[in-house]
Amino acid sequence: MELLNRLMALQHRHGALTDESLNALAREWRLPLHRLQGLRSFYPAFRSEPGAPRKLSVCRDVACRMRAGPRFADEVAEALQGVGGVEVEAVSCLGLCHAAPAALAGELPVSGGAGMLRDGMAGDRPLPLVAEPPAETSAVDPYAGADQRFGTLERALSEGSPEAVIETLEASGLRGMGGAGFPTGRKWRFTRAAGGTPRTVVCNADESEPGTFKDRLLLERVPHLIIEAMVLGGWVIGASRGIIYLRHEYEPARRALEEAVERARERGVLGDSVLGSGFAFDLEIFVSPGGYIMGEETALLEGLEDKRGEPRNKPPFPTQVGYDGGPTLMNNVETFALIPRILQDGVEGWQARGREGFSGVKFLSVSGDVAAPGVYCVPAGMPITEVIERAGGMAGGRALYAFSPGGASTPFLPADRAGTPVDFDALARAGSGLGSGALFVVGQGRDLLDLAIQQVRFFSRESCGKCVPCRTGSAQAVRKLEAAQEGRPEAGLTRLLEELDETLAQTSICGLGQVALAPVMSLLRHFPDEAARLRAEEA
Amino acid sequence: MSDSVSVTIDGRSVTVPAGTSLWDAARELGIDIPVLCHSPRMRPVGVCRMCVVDTGARNLQAACVRPCEEGMEVRTDSDRVVRNRRMLLELLMADYPDPSAREASTGDDELLALARAYGVTSSRFEGSRTPEAPRRDASSPVIAVDHQACILCDRCIRGCNELQHNHVMTRSGKGATTRIAFDLDVPMGESTCVSCGECQAVCPTGALTNRALEGLHLVEEETP
Ligand SMILES: Cc1cc2nc3c(=O)[nH]c(=O)nc-3n(C[C@H](O)[C@H](O)[C@H](O)COP(=O)(O)O)c2cc1C
Ligand code: SF4
Ligand code: FES
Repeated sequence: MELLNRLMALQHRHGALTDESLNALAREWRLPLHRLQGLRSFYPAFRSEPGAPRKLSVCRDVACRMRAGPRFADEVAEALQGVGGVEVEAVSCLGLCHAAPAALAGELPVSGGAGMLRDGMAGDRPLPLVAEPPAETSAVDPYAGADQRFGTLERALSEGSPEAVIETLEASGLRGMGGAGFPTGRKWRFTRAAGGTPRTVVCNADESEPGTFKDRLLLERVPHLIIEAMVLGGWVIGASRGIIYLRHEYEPARRALEEAVERARERGVLGDSVLGSGFAFDLEIFVSPGGYIMGEETALLEGLEDKRGEPRNKPPFPTQVGYDGGPTLMNNVETFALIPRILQDGVEGWQARGREGFSGVKFLSVSGDVAAPGVYCVPAGMPITEVIERAGGMAGGRALYAFSPGGASTPFLPADRAGTPVDFDALARAGSGLGSGALFVVGQGRDLLDLAIQQVRFFSRESCGKCVPCRTGSAQAVRKLEAAQEGRPEAGLTRLLEELDETLAQTSICGLGQVALAPVMSLLRHFPDEAARLRAEEA
Repeated sequence: MSDSVSVTIDGRSVTVPAGTSLWDAARELGIDIPVLCHSPRMRPVGVCRMCVVDTGARNLQAACVRPCEEGMEVRTDSDRVVRNRRMLLELLMADYPDPSAREASTGDDELLALARAYGVTSSRFEGSRTPEAPRRDASSPVIAVDHQACILCDRCIRGCNELQHNHVMTRSGKGATTRIAFDLDVPMGESTCVSCGECQAVCPTGALTNRALEGLHLVEEETP
């Protein structure tokens, strides 16, 4: 953290990490130059030469692409030609999908067509700031007022036991909301049982899966719940240190978190003796130098250790060997945010929040062709069709054509499966997954093949490059798919894609490479019209 | 906790100290699992994925980095293993220059040898390297660099930094544009390289070769 923080500070101060500044840093810290080059060239926040004084980062991923077309970033760049001092850059999903097409002007979220963005950057009109989406974040806050906050923690410390917390989490059926869906209670039990030091609690707030923006709103609006659950996690696994790994594009969330951490410190929730219990715990916020891959838990740990964010080979898992070699309890923002409510409700109360047979609630980031994109807190088990209704129904009079229920890594499903309930297992049985809960809705008349190829392109662009299958295979797939999209599918393409998909899934080190082709493979399975465009005429 | 574990590899059992990799355990049985990035002299990194084996898990496991677990049943040459290795080779061969500088000099190109062993004579993929940076670096008087032949096995990097402690080499960039680099990405001959030769000695391909042997075709030795 120390080195990457220093590099971030240098980048901010000089607008670049120049050879000169890295040579000086290498001397000062007695570091080999190659180490600094490895970092400078890996993280998107770093550059070797300063750019224009102001930057407009335009999203190129699915929700924005569907609204504004595949050339949007180019159109914005063309519109801004002649406006001095501005650099336009196409970037991966910014977590502003509700406001598609979205961009960041510096750190300000903005939304609008090329003309509006041009006028805003040129100062001819105000910047078109992003409006806040509907977000049902308060649904999981068990506290009516600020003075009641941290009551769950206080009660656990005074009359509960770590074992009881774990048992409640296990019985609640809570699963990780970051994408992998690992049972949370079991993770807390493993980490508590693991030997060794240092012991650390990490909140994964790197949210970058296209279509996912629930964590951003939870961080901005209920940061106290995340802090409370992290302290509780520290108490359960015997850790005194917590780290929140935050995506660097989430500046408003950083401010909200800092303020909440400060207030928690004032109240004695953080510090040498948490709420007078004698248990010490403190938190720090680490701002990521960028890249989707950093959300993969072991890449994240490499980042915290000031290395290139390349995922580790597993096992060992972070619960055993995590940050700095010790056991690490890592959970997603939403997973942490749900925990105070679960402990307040008790197992039965929590289960009762779900529809028959399903327990609890789930935050969904709903984007695409719905009238009111936003973050919705829905009972587990609610059918996708109802979620779409909750988000205002289909937009622009389109009928539902396809949906991806959990982010880029969860396959597209056709409209006739929209009766599937919001649940990890039910969606997996339907041929997809709940992933990170990013429901992307595609209406009739949209170019689904283009969108699926964009998802594959996203994975390929965000590949860390560590392992052969993902580094080379994802890029090869994109090239062949682009040729097919232009009407030149090569003979045997679908068979080659099947084989490549197997190798990516079977041999890649991490989840990125493993799912890189999934969006397109789902078209081969469920969408005959799109699949036909990938098949050469069989003469 | 027991200090040793027993595993079955291709139907034969072996007992090894806990923490031993599947690759090392197989070697005790005389079973050769193919590698490109791994070398017994080095810390395993598991990046080339050639050594994948079937442990019955959801996906194949890289034997060089996978610790043995008690009772594990491993297949090193099932159809699934072989066809995925073949695809990996096909991907690597798409970018590989012909002729190989290593094959043409010392004749010990490990990638070509594996491609031959797995019958990968052609690739359905085209070369994908973006010619952003120069392909060759001839700035060092001793070692020739050909980025086009580099498979990013990290052997040179580990050789330079961890075996020789010269601390010159890194991966630079990310994703498909990743390359090996020296210091702050300067030409090898202008870097702090001391020309120890470790990197070109451990390189399995034609990416780093000895310039003294350039263009020299070694006569194949007779083996009795
Ligand atoms: C490529 C990739 C990106 C990921 N990005 C995130 C992320 O941004 N946020 C997150 O919480 N989990 C992300 N994950 C999942 C994490 O690896 C990990 O499973 C999760 O943080 C664990 O917390 P949970 O059990 O509470 O979900 C990602 C996984 C992969 C493979
Ligand atoms: S699968 Fe892709 S992202 Fe993951 S380690 Fe391999 S190259 Fe990196
Ligand atoms: S030899 Fe195991 S991954 Fe390369």
